[in-house]
Order: sequence, then C-alpha cells, then structure tokens
Amino acid sequence: MQLDILGYQCKKCQTISYPYRTLCRKCGHDAFDPVPLPKKGKLLTFTQLFTLPGDFEVNDITLGIVELENGVRMTAQLKIDAPKMGMAVQGKVEVVRQAGYDKCRGMVFYPR
Amino acid sequence: MREVYVAGIGITSFTRLEYPLVEIAAYPAMMALKESGLRKIDHLYAANMGGGRINGQTGLASAVVDNLGLTPAGAETIENGPASGASALKEGFMAVASGMHDVVLVTGAERMRAVNNLEATDFVATLTHPYAEYIYGVTLPSLAGMFTRLHMDRYKVTPRHLAMVAVKNHGNAMFNPFAHLHQPITLEGILDSEDAATNNPVVADPLRFFDCCPVSDGAACLILSTAEVARKTGKPMVRLSGVGQATDTLCVHERDNPLELPAVRGAAAQSLKMAGKKPSDVDVAELHDAFTILEIVESEECGFFKKGEGHLALAKGETGLKGRLPINTSGGLKAKGHPVGATGVGQAHEIVLQLRGEAGERQVKGAKTGFTVNFGGFGNNVVSLCFTREK
Repeated sequence: MQLDILGYQCKKCQTISYPYRTLCRKCGHDAFDPVPLPKKGKLLTFTQLFTLPGDFEVNDITLGIVELENGVRMTAQLKIDAPKMGMAVQGKVEVVRQAGYDKCRGMVFYPR
Repeated sequence: MREVYVAGIGITSFTRLEYPLVEIAAYPAMMALKESGLRKIDHLYAANMGGGRINGQTGLASAVVDNLGLTPAGAETIENGPASGASALKEGFMAVASGMHDVVLVTGAERMRAVNNLEATDFVATLTHPYAEYIYGVTLPSLAGMFTRLHMDRYKVTPRHLAMVAVKNHGNAMFNPFAHLHQPITLEGILDSEDAATNNPVVADPLRFFDCCPVSDGAACLILSTAEVARKTGKPMVRLSGVGQATDTLCVHERDNPLELPAVRGAAAQSLKMAGKKPSDVDVAELHDAFTILEIVESEECGFFKKGEGHLALAKGETGLKGRLPINTSGGLKAKGHPVGATGVGQAHEIVLQLRGEAGERQVKGAKTGFTVNFGGFGNNVVSLCFTREK
C-alpha cells in the first residue's frame, strides 16, 4: 500500500483542510472527501533545531513550512543542506520519528 | 457587572524549587492571605499545565484548598497551556463580576524542573498538533525560529534587535529579587565577542540560547474581590478593569498570514476596550516574551507600535525602564522565568506592584494603567488583562 498524507476537501465549499478537522473552517460543513496533496511546493520558512525531544537520536533536524502547489500549507521535515526561503521543494513520505517500535511517518521535503 | 479589585498578592522566587507542587502553589496564596488579612474565601482557582504529566499530581486545586485550610470553599484547576495563569484570573474575574462570589483566590504554579530541559521542552511541545506538527519534532522554540525568520526577512529585524530584548529584560530582572536569572548580559558577550558562539549557541536557528526563556519552577497568587473587601485591606486600590481572550488555528501553517498574531491583537483589543483605555494609555506592560521575537511582535499587535516597527522602538529605548512604555519590568519570561502555569499570574503580580508603587528600583513612576499578554501555545490561545489604579 502506498502511504500518503491526505488533505480533506469540504464537500460543500471545496476548501481543502490539512490536517483533518471535524467542521470546515470556512463554511462549517461536516463532510469531507480525502484527497491526495501535491508533493511539489515552495518553502515559506524553516529552522534548524538543536534541542530535540529525547527520541531523536541525531544532533539536529531541519523543519519548515511548505506551501504546496494547490495553496495548502504543511509543516514538515527538510532534508536540504542550505535551505532558502522561496525555494522549490519536492516531498516524500518517510519515517520522521521513531519511539521504540512505533514509527511515525510524515512528509520530508528535498530540493527540487 | 460588579467591579473587581485585587485584595492581596504573593509570589515565590521563579527558580528551581525542591518542594511538592501543592506546597509551591500554596506558598504565594499564604502570602496573599496574610497581606489581605482574609481568612476565608469563596472559591479557589489553581492554574497549572503539567502537574498531571510531570509531577504525578492531578486535582491540584482540591489539594491546595485543603493544604491552606480553606475548605469548604469551591476549587478548580485551570489548564490553558502557558496561558493557564491569565485564564484562571479571567475565571476569577467572572466569578466576582457576576456576583457569584465576593472573594476568589487565584494561584498559578508549576514545577517543571522536576524533569530535565529536554523532557520539559517535549512536554510543552504536546501543545502542538499531534500528527501535523508534533511527530516531526516540532517544539515551541522551532515554531518561534520559523516565525523569527519571516520577521527578519519582511521587517528587517536582526539578531541584534533580538539580543536587545534579552539584554533589557536581564537588566530589569537584576532589580527583581524573585527573578530566575540574576545575570546581567551584554551585546558584546552574547553577540559580538569571540566567545559569543559558545556563550550563546543556536537553539532553533535563527534563535539562540539567550533568545529563549529558562525552564522555571514557581508560583504567584492574586486574591480578587469586590471593592468593599479590597478597601478593608488598606492597600492601594488596583482594579482588574479589562479581560480579553482570543484563539487562532492550532497548526501555525494554517494561519492566513504567518507573520501575524491575530489572537494577541484580539485579546488585547478586548481587554483595553473593557477597561475603557487606548494602547497609548498603558503605562507599563508585561508581554509574553518566551522568545525575544514575541516581545517585539506582541508590542505591535497590542497597538503600542506600528506593524513592523516594534524592533525600532526597542532600539530607541522606548520599552526600557526609563522609556515611553516600559515592557517587562519584572525581567519578563526571558529573565524572571517561565513556570508555565504560573506565568500569567506572575505577570499580573508585577503589574499590581507597579500600580501600587511597590516595585522598588524598577518602579515606573506614576504608573496608573498596566497591561498583560499571556500567550498559550504558539499564539493559538491568548489572554490579556488590563489593570487600573483607582482612588
């Protein structure tokens, strides 16, 4: 099975929410269609973080907010040596955090 | 609505405290009860964020009301993240204003140093969205880092401006015996010298160590009451004249404009409006500077300075102790410390001292209107309070 990060498109006003919400933020409707999100986008902002929660066994990680091609934004990890605001990025679903045997998958963005 | 006054105050040092959470919460309450001469209250609110998770203490308010021998008064624990303190004061305000209670004791307490810094940072990070933020390693410093980068790009805020907030607030804390950090710092030491990279390492680029508040234990208390009760204490009359609260999206990436903090703007406007004041009426303010950038941006969102000009006012000294609008005279979260559940009550404590004229060497002369912003999450739940000195 292909793992993916999904957006939720309101059946009434078509607004896509990410992450899932119970009621649409724009129109208040309560029914959504899961939709795939574009993997291409541009980097809005980022940070290299050195004080990590205990289950990260690395010195630092880079986090960013990416605006996808359809305008939906997401927070994700970056694997980019010298990130720049506005740069084009391409996302892939990978393991982003592992606590014991629990693997959390999320979006990781690379330079495009 | 009835008018609500401050009948008594108390505070612990913000530092590492090796006492049970219940006793930490009770100590400033004891001080406030002694100061006010009150022996009975109608209700107690205990503000706390992490007792259940990091101290194994749930039901804090029930334990504190008993510890103080104040049963059978009603008691509730209030949790609103790092804005728990101001939220509890808001609840206390509503209880007295509505006529339901005459005397309400609000104590905010936190004992976060029971765990190490990384565990404390991780515990605070549970405020973020569980699968759209937290799993990636998002922490509050990382959200602040990304926010800072946007402001540096758009408004030309520089690392020097950020460091100026830290230098100012560490300086103010030198006059506050209850502050966590009694450590004067200089731009030379944390920015310009050869040792600056060692003294002030990167935490969440572009934020460095001295851009971030410490992890503190501590507690603070205000007793809120009717005018009649407060007058009997013989203390200067300070009124809690305005409260405001607003929320924003949990995920920072969902904000319409990631450069803005609309919940700060909304909460601040409400509290000033209720108090019948304008931003220019405020004589002294305690803003939630968990990260240096926040003091700058909040000072704009509250209407003290134009958007994008908070850092310029700071550089001109307008927010210093002798400036036009002194901000964070206590040392702020940056140097006074940030015991999360206690912070909002601690901010109010400082404002009451200032309006009573009891702030010692950090006293803002003739202060009559004081104001606080207590920031829960990364700006997704903000409570603002306005206090006025009455005759």
